[in-house]
Amino acid sequence: MEINRLPKVILIFLTLFLIQEALISQINFLVAGFSLYLAFFMAWVIQDQRNSAVVTGFIAGLILDLSPTLEAPFGLWTLVLTSMSYLLASNVRAALDAELSPLVMLSVTVLASSFALILFLLIGAILGQEVGSASYLTRSIAGNALWGALLSPLYIPLAMKLHKVTLTSRQR
Amino acid sequence: MATRGSNRSRLLWVSLLVTSLFIITLDLRGVSLLSSLRSGTQSALAPVERLANNFFSPVGDFFSEVGNLGRSKAKIEKLEEENQELKSQVILNENTLAQLESLKGVLDLAGKARYKTVSARVISKGGTGTFSETIVLDIGSDSGVRRDMTVIAAGGLVGVVKSTTASSSIVLLMNDPSFRIGVRVAGKQDMGILLGQGDKSYSLQMLSATSAISVGDVLLARGSSGDKPFVPGVPVGRISYVENTVGQLTKEGRVNGFVDLNSLSVVSVVLSAVAGDPGDALVPKAPRPAPTVTVFVTPSPTPKE
Repeated sequence: MEINRLPKVILIFLTLFLIQEALISQINFLVAGFSLYLAFFMAWVIQDQRNSAVVTGFIAGLILDLSPTLEAPFGLWTLVLTSMSYLLASNVRAALDAELSPLVMLSVTVLASSFALILFLLIGAILGQEVGSASYLTRSIAGNALWGALLSPLYIPLAMKLHKVTLTSRQR
Repeated sequence: MATRGSNRSRLLWVSLLVTSLFIITLDLRGVSLLSSLRSGTQSALAPVERLANNFFSPVGDFFSEVGNLGRSKAKIEKLEEENQELKSQVILNENTLAQLESLKGVLDLAGKARYKTVSARVISKGGTGTFSETIVLDIGSDSGVRRDMTVIAAGGLVGVVKSTTASSSIVLLMNDPSFRIGVRVAGKQDMGILLGQGDKSYSLQMLSATSAISVGDVLLARGSSGDKPFVPGVPVGRISYVENTVGQLTKEGRVNGFVDLNSLSVVSVVLSAVAGDPGDALVPKAPRPAPTVTVFVTPSPTPKE
């Protein structure tokens, strides 16, 4: 990742974190909740080069770890998002066409968000976190996937546009 | 064959993973810098959350109310505007009335037990997708709120204060998977542990296999030493199911909480229990069944002609 791109990426993810914590958490979703931050991150990282994706994953994870309501140890989201970004940028992205269709973006975003939540739970459980009942976990992950799919027309175009804004003309 | 570029990105990935593991280790070893980062974030977020709550609380209901209004016609436009204004006023009033009702209920409960409390408004819920059940209150250490204080609502227990800043505090709700509380059955001395499960019902583990518990029994908080984190006597929930398995070491069951944690607007933080353990004084009264009128009809023999 080029060094001049870094402040823009940090600013975008900090703003998104603020929206997630102050606005999205005020909404009573019908089934479980929705992490806009996570869904936006997946939509962003799938468009990135491998090196940029890994650095973005690390920064986005550190920002998400700042959440004061989080019970998990500091650094857990950093670990999960760094791993997810490498997985998406090196394995998943390589298997897809150069031009990403909206349907592919939607599928990757929803599946990757769910997988990140499961990974967060697994590593958390290994570190001694309480995970709750199976019905609660299923409802939380399924609810997040449902809202991720329903609201994708809003955040995927935004992620694509903002991603382009951070690129230099040569990178575009 | 791996290229130089892919090797470099793999090296970057591994070094960032090691850094994250290092941060986790620091946090687990209790390095205060990391926890103060989170409390600093909370201080910065609280004013924004308060503002967002002021906006979202009435507006969310407003939009759901006006969704059924009729088609826009020139003649009725003015009436619709007036109607919307009145409706928004009514929603605002209903919102205030609901908060007032909650406040009255929680003050009644605190008054009965002679708890010294401070009331607070819920300004935000915990971040979604993080598998932790929390709420944010609009008061903090400036109002006397400290970590590990009991939080109650009109029905009973809500949770415990997890962290505070000067003007806000985070409460761990009792349905969080990491939540544990010692309870006793009202009217008996049987004790057990209530565990949060993430959803509306709770798991109960009694300390003895011979505990005589039955469906409908009320559970009260047993209290902690120095009243932290739990003051004694707060209603926690009602047993909804008892597992009767032969050979179990302890009795287990399911419990329904008294407080709906999804619709909290006003709560109280217990600063101290002035009169000690209130015993069973806070057990909610069972609803009295409405009297049924029974009419007996006795056929009278028809007179013979």
